[in-house]
Amino acid sequence: MPKELKLPAVEVRQSKGRTLYSFAVDGKLVHRFATISRVSRREGQLHGYQRPEALAHIEEIRNYLESPSPMVPNAVILAFDSRVRFKPAETKPPSKEVYSRPGTIIIPMEEQPDEDKPGFIVDGQQRLAAIRDAAIDSFPICVTAFITDDIGQQAEQFMLVNSTKPLSKALLYELLPQTRAQLPSSLSRRRLPAQLMVRLNQDERSPLKEMIQTATHPTGIIKDNSILKMLEHSLIDGALYEVRKRGNTEDGLEPMMELLRNYWTAVSQVFKEAWGKPPKKSRLMHGAGIISMGLIMDDASALLMETARPPTVQQYAAALQPLEKLCHWTSGTWDFGNGRTRKWNELQNTPKDIDLLARYLTDQYRSLVKDRPQKLRRVAQR
Amino acid sequence: MKFFLPDSQDLVDPSFDFELERRSMTRQRQRDDLYAHEVFSTPAFDGLLVSKGIVDGFGVLGSRYTLSQRRRLQRDGAPRFFRLDNASYPLEIMGDCGAFTYVDEEEPPYSVDEVLAFYESCRFHYGVSLDHVILEFDPAADAPGAEEDVIPPAIRARQQLTLERAREFLRKHKAGGHCFKPLGVAQGWSPKSYAAAVKALQKMGYDYIALGGMVPLKTQEIRLCLEEIQAVRKPGTRLHLLGVTRPEHLQEFSRLGIASFDSTSPLRQAFKDARDNYYLDGHKYTAIRIPQIEGNPDLQKKIFAGQVSQERARQLERECLESMRLFDQGRRTVRQTLEVLLEYERLYDPDAKQKRNDHAAAYEQTLENAPWRRCACEVCGKLKHHVILFRGAERNRRRGFHNIWTLYRQMHERGLGEGSPFQEETGARARRAKARAHG
Ligand SMILES: [Zn+2]
Repeated sequence: MPKELKLPAVEVRQSKGRTLYSFAVDGKLVHRFATISRVSRREGQLHGYQRPEALAHIEEIRNYLESPSPMVPNAVILAFDSRVRFKPAETKPPSKEVYSRPGTIIIPMEEQPDEDKPGFIVDGQQRLAAIRDAAIDSFPICVTAFITDDIGQQAEQFMLVNSTKPLSKALLYELLPQTRAQLPSSLSRRRLPAQLMVRLNQDERSPLKEMIQTATHPTGIIKDNSILKMLEHSLIDGALYEVRKRGNTEDGLEPMMELLRNYWTAVSQVFKEAWGKPPKKSRLMHGAGIISMGLIMDDASALLMETARPPTVQQYAAALQPLEKLCHWTSGTWDFGNGRTRKWNELQNTPKDIDLLARYLTDQYRSLVKDRPQKLRRVAQR
Repeated sequence: MKFFLPDSQDLVDPSFDFELERRSMTRQRQRDDLYAHEVFSTPAFDGLLVSKGIVDGFGVLGSRYTLSQRRRLQRDGAPRFFRLDNASYPLEIMGDCGAFTYVDEEEPPYSVDEVLAFYESCRFHYGVSLDHVILEFDPAADAPGAEEDVIPPAIRARQQLTLERAREFLRKHKAGGHCFKPLGVAQGWSPKSYAAAVKALQKMGYDYIALGGMVPLKTQEIRLCLEEIQAVRKPGTRLHLLGVTRPEHLQEFSRLGIASFDSTSPLRQAFKDARDNYYLDGHKYTAIRIPQIEGNPDLQKKIFAGQVSQERARQLERECLESMRLFDQGRRTVRQTLEVLLEYERLYDPDAKQKRNDHAAAYEQTLENAPWRRCACEVCGKLKHHVILFRGAERNRRRGFHNIWTLYRQMHERGLGEGSPFQEETGARARRAKARAHG
């Protein structure tokens, strides 16, 4: 084993006394010369600055690294002590207009205990742990490094790279539909709902065209999250699950879109008064309204799809008609039974109120639509 | 006797890889997961018990169901929701209100109409009347000349309320033309008061009666109640014991009219009990704890504080898993395996030894006996030594499934089962035993 690792590198002078080095190295080797400076206290003194690894996060990255063609574009940041040297390719100093010069970075690689390693991982510990654990032979990774014996400088850089704001949810949902690669599971679960939402907001024939508030469509009146919730419910437990089960994944969107278009067109017709108004004026366009009506979509579809799939606008409208007189989207008071009432504008977008409204509407719907065929019941007199 | 398993959405993910500890990226909860009856090809219970309280969630106790799952349960009905067709043997579903979820309320939060509608939409086979649980138990109230005020009026009122609701339940059940079989609930505070409730319910017309509030009672106390009830029980009246398993006393319970019972304890003990985690041949073994670092809050805190090295913890965790794998292959001895397991235990629970809470002796017994190698159930056959590891829901819950299967088998081997799926086998075994005894 070589005692030193010699890698082609570029030296960049950034400001007075601050020099960076940029190079590529096999991620599997990094733990041999760099360690993590864990935060701890010894005799009252603070040591180190790093948090422990988030194992679940590492698992996600690791899964991605084991996928067919992974790419990790952002560089990990290492801090070296002065045992690491840079040897420029040319001895003559660069001119003023040139900020960088090529050369070789030389890193000692002797077997040492962690605390004696010449490098510290300032940023990228999860990525490097994932590369270390992944079932792959090697994975070259970009490194940005600086050389300092001052632990304060390391901590400062660590804080700077870790205090950036995470991406806004709204922007994530907007970007999600275009992605194809393997994503962390929390994101990939939302990809299909996001795809459907974008089409509901854009398609010419969609009753919700330009009504959903998203990052690129800030004037929409319905919150993106309400629509996503409604779609997720149906994709997991409702009508969209049934449709999706049959269709293949590539052209699978259209049958789902047809069902959504027909149903929400029927909603817009039956509740003409309340449709299209901002949530302040109509609770139908509010989270509680959208989500509850989404559950009614699943109930109604289950009945109607015994004969028609997808059901037509007229069929949905006929199914919704009995609910019309019970709803108080824009005025009056809801009577949820057992002494529970809510003025129309007191209905909040909270799990409790959504639950109350959804339960009431679906129970009413069920008792009003009595034509459920008797044969569906399993007689169990014993 | 029938055994009903109370549902609290206990499922396992068939895509879970025990070596890599990963699951499929496309797995959908509940849809792709398996219930116990989908895991075993031979019966492990006779039916499920589904509580309104568990499905809806009450007060601070959130629901085990998502909003859309609750809708689907009522839209599709329980037989389809629980995929009973996937079981290779017939299963029934009993509905109840889950009185324990609202025990602190003055009155049950549901109306009889709501309960009937819930049972009907879920298409249960049995429905238990709306009740209000009584937790007090004082046999002194039965003594001749006992003061009226031994039992406070509020408690007596609960029994009264339970009986009134049972009467209303039966009347509306008939009027509504419901298909499920109704059960009345008897609540009481003493053997005589239970017997009185049973008598009242029989008079209303119930011939299947559930006994509530007996979960906290000692076996001896339950026996006293059953004997008192026996004196008033009509020959055709069947009893259901709500939430109670006493495997050692099932024989006796059966003689005293218990036709069915439900219990989660074989499932829960697998991962809640400090010692008795794995049932086999009448023994209860302690499962081998190899906690995930991120699943152990104490250890996690120490790692965050920098008092324990995360690298060291991970290394020991891996060594334990590896050791158990090699042990099962016969490449490690009990002693070698024990050493690694206890070293990890000293790291995540350094005070165990002082508190006389270390697992040295218990693990030794588990490893010496290696009971999972002798079990004929599908879980043990497939998981091998992973079934004995106390680690993460996928292993722990499967061990619970194994316990359910074992309990059910025990029940049938003692000839207590109904329409026994093991009867032939049991019969053959009995004949063999007889032959041995005579030979
Ligand atoms: Zn087993």
